[in-house]
Amino acid sequence: MSNAYIDQFPAEAKVVKALFYSSFVALALGGVFGIIQTLHRTDIYRFIDSANYYSVLTAHGVFMVITFTIFFLVGVFTWAVTTSLDREVEDIRFTWAWVALMSIGTVMAAVPILAGLTDSIDMSAAVLFTFYAPLQGHPLFYLGLVLFVVGTWVAGADWFRSWWAWKKENPDARIPLPTFMVLTTMIMWYIATMGVATSILVFLLPWSLGWIETVNPLLTRTLFWFFGHPVVYFWLMPAYMMWYVMLPKFSGGKLFSDPLARVGFVLFLLLSTPVGIHHQYLDPGISEGFKFIAMTNTMFLLLPSLLTAFTVVASMEHGARQRGGTGYFGWLKALPWRDPVFAGMALAGLLFAAAGFSGMVNAGMNINYLVHNSLWVVGHFHLTVGTAVALTFMAVSYWFIPQVTGKELWNRSVALVQVVLWFIGMTFMTNSMHRAGLIGMPRRTAEPQYEGFEFETAVGSVGELDAQIALGGVLLTLSLVLFFANIIGTAFGSRSDTLPDNGYAEALSGSDDAPRVLDNLKLWTAIAIVLVIFAYSLPLLSIVDRGGLFGPDIPPLPVSLESVTFLAFAVEHVATVALESAGNFAQTALSGVIN
Amino acid sequence: MNIHSYEKLWLIAALLLIVGFIATITYGSVGLGIAMIDDSEDTVNPGSLDEDFGEPRVEHVGENEYEAYVIAQTFTYRPDPIEVPADSEVTFYVTSRDVIHSFSVVGTNVNTMVIPGEVSSMTVEFDDPGEYGIVCNEYCGDFHHTMEGQLHVVPEDEFDMTELSVEADDEVELGDEATFNVSVENGMLDDLETTASFEIGDETVEEEITVAGESTEETTFTVDSSDLGEGDHDWTITVDDYEESGTLTVVDELEEENDGGNNDE
Amino acid sequence: MRISKAGLLVALAFLAPILVELRTVLAWADIHLSVLETVFVGAIIAAGLLLWAFLPEDGDETTSDRDVSNSEL
Repeated sequence: MSNAYIDQFPAEAKVVKALFYSSFVALALGGVFGIIQTLHRTDIYRFIDSANYYSVLTAHGVFMVITFTIFFLVGVFTWAVTTSLDREVEDIRFTWAWVALMSIGTVMAAVPILAGLTDSIDMSAAVLFTFYAPLQGHPLFYLGLVLFVVGTWVAGADWFRSWWAWKKENPDARIPLPTFMVLTTMIMWYIATMGVATSILVFLLPWSLGWIETVNPLLTRTLFWFFGHPVVYFWLMPAYMMWYVMLPKFSGGKLFSDPLARVGFVLFLLLSTPVGIHHQYLDPGISEGFKFIAMTNTMFLLLPSLLTAFTVVASMEHGARQRGGTGYFGWLKALPWRDPVFAGMALAGLLFAAAGFSGMVNAGMNINYLVHNSLWVVGHFHLTVGTAVALTFMAVSYWFIPQVTGKELWNRSVALVQVVLWFIGMTFMTNSMHRAGLIGMPRRTAEPQYEGFEFETAVGSVGELDAQIALGGVLLTLSLVLFFANIIGTAFGSRSDTLPDNGYAEALSGSDDAPRVLDNLKLWTAIAIVLVIFAYSLPLLSIVDRGGLFGPDIPPLPVSLESVTFLAFAVEHVATVALESAGNFAQTALSGVIN
Repeated sequence: MNIHSYEKLWLIAALLLIVGFIATITYGSVGLGIAMIDDSEDTVNPGSLDEDFGEPRVEHVGENEYEAYVIAQTFTYRPDPIEVPADSEVTFYVTSRDVIHSFSVVGTNVNTMVIPGEVSSMTVEFDDPGEYGIVCNEYCGDFHHTMEGQLHVVPEDEFDMTELSVEADDEVELGDEATFNVSVENGMLDDLETTASFEIGDETVEEEITVAGESTEETTFTVDSSDLGEGDHDWTITVDDYEESGTLTVVDELEEENDGGNNDE
Repeated sequence: MRISKAGLLVALAFLAPILVELRTVLAWADIHLSVLETVFVGAIIAAGLLLWAFLPEDGDETTSDRDVSNSEL
């Protein structure tokens, strides 16, 4: 009899398994849309209409960064809390309730996105992941997002319940590290989602339903980024958690320092939210001072990531030396590269270092002029969420899926090839994306080929850049195929009794070493809220003061492809311009006659 | 809490890196004067840009200083192309009539979001002549990928803001005088000294004109139709590089119904 | 072998970012490599790596014992 997660927590294992499978469905869909886009925008192979590209792009974005990542991470968090507290969830029905809420939300948001691809249904949500007003999606899209987010809130409540119940029984014990990480991440998430919840519930949803006439585009945009930056840490922190508590275990050693891991997560809680304005460096209507504050906060947010880099590498080295590795760099050879879980996470970490560098460039307020909204940014986040997060999740799935299904992984060699292929694919794709961004090629464009000018490359040609992006995309798709082959193969396997035990890495420097104050979540929450108020209250007040709560009188621009309203709007425009010029002409002609 | 000495070193190095980054950015702002797009401009109402913002245009506001007022809307920029002289300082004011766009001059660091209701302003120096593409890098609707414009930085000596327009008779009765009202608009601040030349048939008339800065000067050429004789006569009026031309028809007798003037087209 | 098969696979994969960045770095020194030339340079480096990996370790025949990375967790 093994002692895997499914043996310890059979009911929870079912929940986690359902969450993982849901996330993989999203990953598959996102992957399909990803390759369509890659081939389309590089003009290698186009079989959809360019106007539909934006529905494909919305689907790719939402399925990948909302559905795939978040479904996966709530699964990981459920595992982390139950395992590290060594207790079942308080009420499994409550747990299934938030799973259902999140699923219903996803389906509701997905319907208008996918309907945007067919002309037969006049419904669309091709507003991209950022849904900037006055572009207007179908109400169902906004409603789905709300339900999804509420689902994650309830999930957080579930984990807090577990912790509170545990604390009553263990009043003096330190919070186990994985649970500590879950709780700090969720507090950060509660604060962050206030922005998007306000944006949708107060403005966008009533507006899409026609209850209010207008919205203030700068306000809803700012509220989006209030959430939009911390959401990247919501994706990233589970990956960090895996690097802290799992990677040392797979390297054969221990976590270097438990206290510094806690410090890292506290810093993320404090600094993830008051930085969102760094996505708006180039927005008019926000003063330079507010941008500067966001910039300094962002720079200090580098600190926990740099600390993580140290701890992860130190833990890996410790593991390698335990396995007999020697020498300054010789220990690298002693790492378990044969293990896809380890190899995938290590490669993800490596590319994350590169992502850190391009992120530092993005964070530079005035350097941002050069790269803002260019393909550079897309390269950056395919290294962060697309590799550091996605590859870590896929790699760790090779450990998790056997744990929650009780079945042996179908094929370890295929798994290893899969993670390596992802690494190579991302290398090609993101390298060329960064370079294309530097020459000014925009992101989010169906056809970055223009009539009036050509991009000038420093090295190679635009054609080579495009080919490199497409090559990367193809390798990534291939990697996904291998991933799904392995997951499906495992799912159809038979129950194994020889699975490794459930568990996570111990620390060299344990939690007894960590100052008590680190576990004072109330204190950190209070400081986090103060920082958010400090960074956001004045900008928000100023935006409302300038543009009004509901903004100037601008008609919405619904994205429905064949929408009558859009046509009406376009016609109105043409008519206005025509009338204007006719008026001008009449005026000159008239003055000519009078003179 | 015991922290390993290597980790302490790393921590200090990380903090130095962060402080170093902030210092370089601050130097970029204060030392090099790279200002951020900010809230210095008043808001406008996208529905009444004509009053709040005026026509899309380029204005000469000082020695080597220009202002470009640009309107972005699905899926064009106006004016297009934007023309400015080399070796000048241009302040762009950009706003949107509908959704969020961007105004990004490819291959330069001129890049801003364009948000309806807000005006983005940025001052840029153009040292050398060149032609740049302008792209919208914020998704703005189905045909976002077609949204582009042009920025022409023309050599200083080839740059002017002269506009020539001519009001001319189409048809005159033999024996009557045909008149050509020429107006030369000078958008620059300096006076424009130039020659307007008028050619019709074999005849050429030249007139020196001086157009004061930011004003319009008018002049009239007349020609006696009996000198031309019955038939069609091509004419050309030239001021610097600008040219207007047309055809004058001299007829024996004018038809009555044309009396109302030709303002129907 | 001096390195495990899996280690070799990862080392070869790591060549990819080095090569694509190398091309850019060389361009600063005004050395412009075409795609084919880059592939060629890559093939040489990869061959070198393979050669090194498959050469027997000096006077040591118990390679598999030291090949710790192949061991299971």
